[in-house]
Amino acid sequence: MSLQNRLLIVLSLLATLAGCSGEKGGDDTASSGQVVNLYSARHYDSDAQIYDAFTRDTGIRVRRIEAPADQLIARMKAEGAQSPADVLIIADAGSMAIAADAGLLQATPDAGLESRVAANLRDPQDRWYAVSRRARVVAYDAAKVRPEEVATYDQLASPRFRGKLCVRSSDNPYNLSLLSALIERWGADRARAWAKGVVANMARPPQGGDIDQIRAVGAGQCEVAITNSYYYLRIAGSPAAQDKALVGRVLLAWPSLDGRGAHENVSGAGVAAHAPNRANAVRFLNYLLEARAQGIFASATNEFPVVAGTPMPDRVARYAAMPVDPIPVGAYGARQAEAQRLFEEAGWR
Amino acid sequence: MTTAAVPRARPFPRLGGLHLAAILAAVIALAPLLAVVATALGPGADSLTAQTFARYALTSVALAGSVAVGAGVLGALAAWLVVMHRFPGRDLFAWALVLPLAAPAFATAYGYADLFDVAGPVRTGLRAALGFDAPLEMRSLPGAAIVLSLAFYPYVYLTLRAALVNQSVGALEAARSLGRSANGAFWAVTLPMARPAIAAGMALAVMETLADYGASSFLGVQTLTTGVVRAWSVFGSTAEAARLALPLLGAAAVLLLIERLSRANRSADVGPSRWRPLPTQQLKGPGATAAFAFCLALITLGLLLPAGWLAYRGLSVQPDAARLLHGGLNALGLAVVAALFTTALAASIALGARKSRLIARLTSLGYATPGAVMAIGLLAPAGFLWRGLAGAAGGFGVSIALLLLAYAARLMAAALEPVDAGLERVTPSMIGAARMLGQTESGAAWRVELPMATGALVTAALLVFIDVLKELPATVILRPFGFDTLAVMADYYAKDERLADAAWPSLLIVLVSIPAVIWLTRRVGASRPGAALGASQ
Repeated sequence: MSLQNRLLIVLSLLATLAGCSGEKGGDDTASSGQVVNLYSARHYDSDAQIYDAFTRDTGIRVRRIEAPADQLIARMKAEGAQSPADVLIIADAGSMAIAADAGLLQATPDAGLESRVAANLRDPQDRWYAVSRRARVVAYDAAKVRPEEVATYDQLASPRFRGKLCVRSSDNPYNLSLLSALIERWGADRARAWAKGVVANMARPPQGGDIDQIRAVGAGQCEVAITNSYYYLRIAGSPAAQDKALVGRVLLAWPSLDGRGAHENVSGAGVAAHAPNRANAVRFLNYLLEARAQGIFASATNEFPVVAGTPMPDRVARYAAMPVDPIPVGAYGARQAEAQRLFEEAGWR
Repeated sequence: MTTAAVPRARPFPRLGGLHLAAILAAVIALAPLLAVVATALGPGADSLTAQTFARYALTSVALAGSVAVGAGVLGALAAWLVVMHRFPGRDLFAWALVLPLAAPAFATAYGYADLFDVAGPVRTGLRAALGFDAPLEMRSLPGAAIVLSLAFYPYVYLTLRAALVNQSVGALEAARSLGRSANGAFWAVTLPMARPAIAAGMALAVMETLADYGASSFLGVQTLTTGVVRAWSVFGSTAEAARLALPLLGAAAVLLLIERLSRANRSADVGPSRWRPLPTQQLKGPGATAAFAFCLALITLGLLLPAGWLAYRGLSVQPDAARLLHGGLNALGLAVVAALFTTALAASIALGARKSRLIARLTSLGYATPGAVMAIGLLAPAGFLWRGLAGAAGGFGVSIALLLLAYAARLMAAALEPVDAGLERVTPSMIGAARMLGQTESGAAWRVELPMATGALVTAALLVFIDVLKELPATVILRPFGFDTLAVMADYYAKDERLADAAWPSLLIVLVSIPAVIWLTRRVGASRPGAALGASQ
């Protein structure tokens, strides 16, 4: 068979294949049912449980694109008024505020949403609402550290922990929001001094994720680690013997920022500025704050609910009501770049 | 129709078709790069300090340099052993040594980072035995250099092996008859003639290193690419991110030039003696054992150990089989179509832009462009389409089409190199004969040149296929709703610090790539004129 004939056969096969998949894609858009289009920067597999429940309860199909926050924001900017996005979800209040200030979200004043989400956990202009909470706290080696030694964030920068602290790199949004909050509360100079103190205390150059830091405490490489609450709780909820042993030795401390409580961040959701399915988007937003979705956030990703009275597993409930700094979380967005600069000045890679 | 431009006028000059196709292909490949340069010239103050920039740049240089040396030495040694010697297992190693190419560098990094984590099995075991923590940190510059060298040595192995397999027996025999020993002939003849191939392989490895983000960021190494990501995601400045990418593009241009120059004087051909089998040296005793151990170690460290550890970790979770299947089919379909599309574009460039080599070279720059930069470059042209065409932004077909264009722009080098090399076998006199028999230029290309380069086209398509399976940044940012690929799934799980879940899609990429890699390496083995297809060399 000649090359040309072979090429033609392959091409026609491909055309058929493309036709099939095109049909499938076409079916996606052309189906008579209602849809809501999500752009989500949350990277938690279990969110599918919430989407499935929403579809079962409302008949509205959930279509999603997942990508890091900056890329979703860039994509929405490039799409402009033609963007198919209905709802934007990001697991960081700072990035949510940045998206809102870039004009990518529209105000959705809604008495139901406002009544369920505390004022400091939503945009003052109602462009986004928190749907779940997490605290950035400390995991510590119970054999070497007393709880009162990790009662405040200042103590992490004290010489007590020289060469004993593990933490991930500075460009992680969770670290950026923590330092943003410290800048808000303390001013830039004190925040920079704190970052320098933490750098001096590092047991190793920043590397890995939060779970890696907790395991490094367990392995004895460091005595304290900065971590998001749900990563510790995920290990605490694991049935594996190794994980059970780990949470026996490594405990969770709840440091306080100037006596106000721990540093808190949220996952936020808002309706896109050009949402083609606005009504469905508002309905989806409300659904995220109903008992079922709030319960899935608590049980599946070990996050704290935003709405009081949500049923949750004991390990989550134990910390859900702990005191947190009541700072308006959207303020992190405006401080993000400054926080990164302070980290670099402090030598926090 | 550009009738006026055609000297020997025919009513419908098919002459223009080839050039038009080449221009179209070049535009597709260059659009994102031009968008990057345009973005770099845009407004936006620089937030990264000179000091930080210098740190990133030095780390990039150190990493790329170590990988060049590491991959160069490992790959060259392996190729020399396998082609020039006989030892137990050689025929198996000949193709198995390429297998690490099937594993995405990020998957190899997952495996090594976890295996050598302070809380991982190796260091925990050593701590128990020694009483102190062994300094075996893979999340470090030396660690990343080792991991990437192991991941990229097959490029050097493949290019050098192809060169050695096709070397001239005549030159070797001449050296022997002039009194050189077998080893002497190697140093005096084989190595100097193979040096361009080693340089080409090292250039590919360095380009891959510069473009890498997944593996080096997972290993905690902060390169210029980290700077790009930081400038974009933290400081919100695509302009600064694009500016940071310019040195990377410059480096890529230099590497392509090196690769090109090294190929220019590759064709030292000594007539029909090429058809005779190569003289190989039988290794015995310790030599054979060492050769065997070296090749086995390379495959073990490059693929079996990291993939095996990932597989072990994967066993601790119940995979979502339906999602994996869906992601696998998506990845497979995309990779097949993208391979054919990109190869077709590469062939148009190779055939239609013969006289403008510079343009052809430039279209290869996407290969060394970091994913995040490519994403910036892709969003600008995609944005025109999205905003200009109602319904395009949410459409499945448009998204897939954009992805195919993005892959072509990103991977043109992988397709263009083998196609170019394959077309070099077609001598001007063959084309002249076809033209004298009444073929147009396109006709000669279609009837003579492409059939003669079939093998090269297959090689190009296989390389693109393997690369698309691993591709991440373009897929993440341009994909349609609900469209996961294996690479996207692996990255997604890894971000959520679920390595056991990330293991499944990572290993599936390896499984899907392996047949393509084996096919690829058998092609190289069979490339010596006169060798039967599938015969080992």
